[in-house]
Amino acid sequence: MCGIAGVMYKQKGAHEIGKSLISMLDGCQHRGPDSTGFALYGDKHEQLQLRFIIPTDEAGKAEAIKNIGTLLEKHDAKLVTEESIGCSYHIGVDFGGDLLAFTKDMEEHAKLVSVGHYLDIIKDDGTAHDVDDIYHVGNVKGTHAIGHVRLATESAVRPEAAHPFWATGFEDIAIVHNGQLTNYWKMRRRLERRGFAFHTDNDSELVAVYLADKLAQGNSLESALETAIDDMDGTFSFLVSTPTEIGYAKDHLAAKPMVLLENDDMIAIASEEVSINRLFPGQSVNSTEPAPGTFRTWSL
Amino acid sequence: MVTIDLSKLNITEANEKIRECGRNGQDVEVINPDAKHNIGVGLTDPINVTVKGSAGYFCGGLSHGATYNIEHNVGWAVGDNIYAGSCIVGGNAGAIAGVGLRGGEVVIRGNMGSRAGQIMKSGTLFCAGDAAFMAGYMMYGGRIIILGDAAEKVGQDMSSGEIFIGGKIESLGNDAEIVDMAPGDLESINEFLAKYGIEFNGTFTKVTNAGKKLRYGKQEPRHRPQPFFVHSKSSNYWNPKVQEDIWIKGEVGRYRIRGYGASKPVPHLNDIAFAKDVSHVKADPSAVEGVNLRTKVGGRWGAKPLDLSMPVMIAPMSFGALSKSVKLALARASRLSGISENTGEGGMMDEQREEADQLVLQMLSGRLGFSIQDIQRADAVEIYISQGAKPGLGGQLMAKKVTPEIAKIRGIPEGIDLRSPSRHPDVLGADDLVIKMDELREAMGHRVPLGIKMGAGRVKDDIKIAYKDGFDFVELDGLQGSTGAASTEVLENVGIPTLCAIQEAMDGLKEIDAKDDMDVVLMGGIKDGVDAIKMLALGADCISVGTAAIIAGGCIACMQCHVGTCPVGIATQDKGHESRYDIDRQAQNIHRFLESMRWQIAAITKALGYDDVHNVSREDLVALTPEAADITGLPYVPGHRDHARPDDNLSTLARKAG
Repeated sequence: MCGIAGVMYKQKGAHEIGKSLISMLDGCQHRGPDSTGFALYGDKHEQLQLRFIIPTDEAGKAEAIKNIGTLLEKHDAKLVTEESIGCSYHIGVDFGGDLLAFTKDMEEHAKLVSVGHYLDIIKDDGTAHDVDDIYHVGNVKGTHAIGHVRLATESAVRPEAAHPFWATGFEDIAIVHNGQLTNYWKMRRRLERRGFAFHTDNDSELVAVYLADKLAQGNSLESALETAIDDMDGTFSFLVSTPTEIGYAKDHLAAKPMVLLENDDMIAIASEEVSINRLFPGQSVNSTEPAPGTFRTWSL
Repeated sequence: MVTIDLSKLNITEANEKIRECGRNGQDVEVINPDAKHNIGVGLTDPINVTVKGSAGYFCGGLSHGATYNIEHNVGWAVGDNIYAGSCIVGGNAGAIAGVGLRGGEVVIRGNMGSRAGQIMKSGTLFCAGDAAFMAGYMMYGGRIIILGDAAEKVGQDMSSGEIFIGGKIESLGNDAEIVDMAPGDLESINEFLAKYGIEFNGTFTKVTNAGKKLRYGKQEPRHRPQPFFVHSKSSNYWNPKVQEDIWIKGEVGRYRIRGYGASKPVPHLNDIAFAKDVSHVKADPSAVEGVNLRTKVGGRWGAKPLDLSMPVMIAPMSFGALSKSVKLALARASRLSGISENTGEGGMMDEQREEADQLVLQMLSGRLGFSIQDIQRADAVEIYISQGAKPGLGGQLMAKKVTPEIAKIRGIPEGIDLRSPSRHPDVLGADDLVIKMDELREAMGHRVPLGIKMGAGRVKDDIKIAYKDGFDFVELDGLQGSTGAASTEVLENVGIPTLCAIQEAMDGLKEIDAKDDMDVVLMGGIKDGVDAIKMLALGADCISVGTAAIIAGGCIACMQCHVGTCPVGIATQDKGHESRYDIDRQAQNIHRFLESMRWQIAAITKALGYDDVHNVSREDLVALTPEAADITGLPYVPGHRDHARPDDNLSTLARKAG
């Protein structure tokens, strides 16, 4: 039960994606006061960027970081940069091996929430402004970003259960989701048989894993969205992003709201127009509501 | 013209200012609206409100007689539930434009989103552009005019009303059909278009209800009263009740319908006992004086709470399922006992408002008879999600009870088998619910408490949502709660027992470290004051009685509530049958029953060693069966069976004391 938002600037460059998304998510914070998360895409980093959720107490933190260090050694990943902030540990590593095996092992033994050369997923309990206060999301510049505000219903309030979710095994892919998948367990068992692991009971994680599986089979993002609409039962609107694309999919019943605005400079998508309007205070925006059962992607 | 700047005022301040302008007869212009929600909600004066930009959800909602001009777009549910007045939108409208429209006009110059005109009852919803899917979903009456195209399922499950489409129709909904235009249709549409200066030279296709699903093909046959369950010791597997059930299904070819609640045995309050022996309770008439029973419900956010003389309410039951006479007797008894009455579905009656001192207004999915005037004279408002007897389903009112009077109040066609929608058009998740709650609070001026009534299903999750969304109180209804009509399959198999419901609710609230500030009202098969205090000890702040109050007021428990010919004039709308009901006498009986509950609650509180009923706790209870112990986590002490129910003693004494 949530609110979602996304923004993409059509011209490459360092746009204020952090500030824009904070403002959009603040606009729909009433839809989800428990936690807030951002998936931000900036310039390509030389090192592979990983972000983990770690305990906030000193002993727990030290142990988690030590454990991550051991895992990095095991996979021949060389630590180049590191930062511990809020409930997260953000590192840059030189890694040239099999990403799927590497991240699978990492995920089994640590709370890995973001992987990529472009992507950074920042999420924590609290509001958009709370998260910004700790992680300085407002300073992040780039081309596009998606974000989420969450009201935890069936699963617990924990930073790792917040959105966005990254697509297991695939760097730089993230999703945010508003809705409820009713065939969650059935879909989950199907994906587990295909070797995927689940780290939360959050149905949104399944959307990320599903898309990852489709992409692994060589499908385009567009066709993955198309099949998702038919395969997933329930009510949903979700956004997905890659280093060069953002896209949405909406269920057949249109039970979860979503509006979008496209102009010469940008694409802005949100659960409610009030979020998009935050980018244009005092003006009216020409937003449209996508039809039920539709999907679309945009590329840089 | 007064200018209100939404970049400077919050929505509550702005709406107060708009209402003040309404009282002064001044027009209003709202600047910097920036698609904010609930603009102009609850206005009841005929002024003009111009929104200079886009508005969010529920613009002009729950208003009466005002004219709103929104220059650009609107979000969901523009003109929600208006009885008179108009909302004119210059741009596009989101989903459920004109939802629950009861009169007046909603005009959209652009396109409109899905489910437009859902559950509308009269008035006109107009769209100059295209309509997304399910236009006219579940509409009960009124007119929708669409100049452009209409997407799939036009008129899905409509029961009356007319839809005129100028463009293409992608597909028709369930039980909708295309008919010829009637004489006068076009003239009336042209008159409407001229009023708003809209040009259109095309032709229209008219869609109405095909009338194939308005009534059950075969009515439920009369049959002898269904006995409650019989223990296997004295019964057999294919017992007469099971046989009868199969015979009747063979006749009607569908699920069966009856009144009352589940009749199967489930762990209940008889399986719980007091840890202390309270059988020594003597007929002490002073018991009531010595114990504080006063209970306030719904003060979480500073609204004026319900102020009850004891932790008991009358449960929500509709004028419709029950006759007006019974509703008035209940209202009077609630006043005499200093507790609250509840409207149930179908709106508030003037006489009921006068009789009841404290009256809770329910808002159900069909918004049948729900109006701003009633919201403003209610002592609390409660959003109905479901009933313990039938979680996941809406109300059912069989044709016999949908009389001209009931149909008029509810705004629906006469004589249909009314199956109220199972879900709210504008609450599809906890996230939309927050905005709906804001709309209601804006309409009430944040004056009185806002509650949620839910049937017990996934209580642990649901109560967390209720808490986080900020309800002032929750009314939680277990499997043993009764209903006026429901399918037997649902009655017996869907809900969860009241005992599980209260325990899950408490566990859920504990899991999120909820403060003890949202009141929990428990109902579902509570028979007397002994049951009541056990529920309070398990964590409820208050309880509600429905069936027990009805039985006190003359019900003979024949369980034929759905038939509409109740022999004692309770579950009927037939004037002849209703005339058998003696309001004065039965109101006194219900009142005396409530006083016996008061005495029992007070006497047990005292016997347990307290002088305030709100001090009783789990420590005062034990479980008599392994099942009850497992459900509640109470210690399993079968030896306490001897003083499980001191009620033989107590009820005799209560009679003496009363």
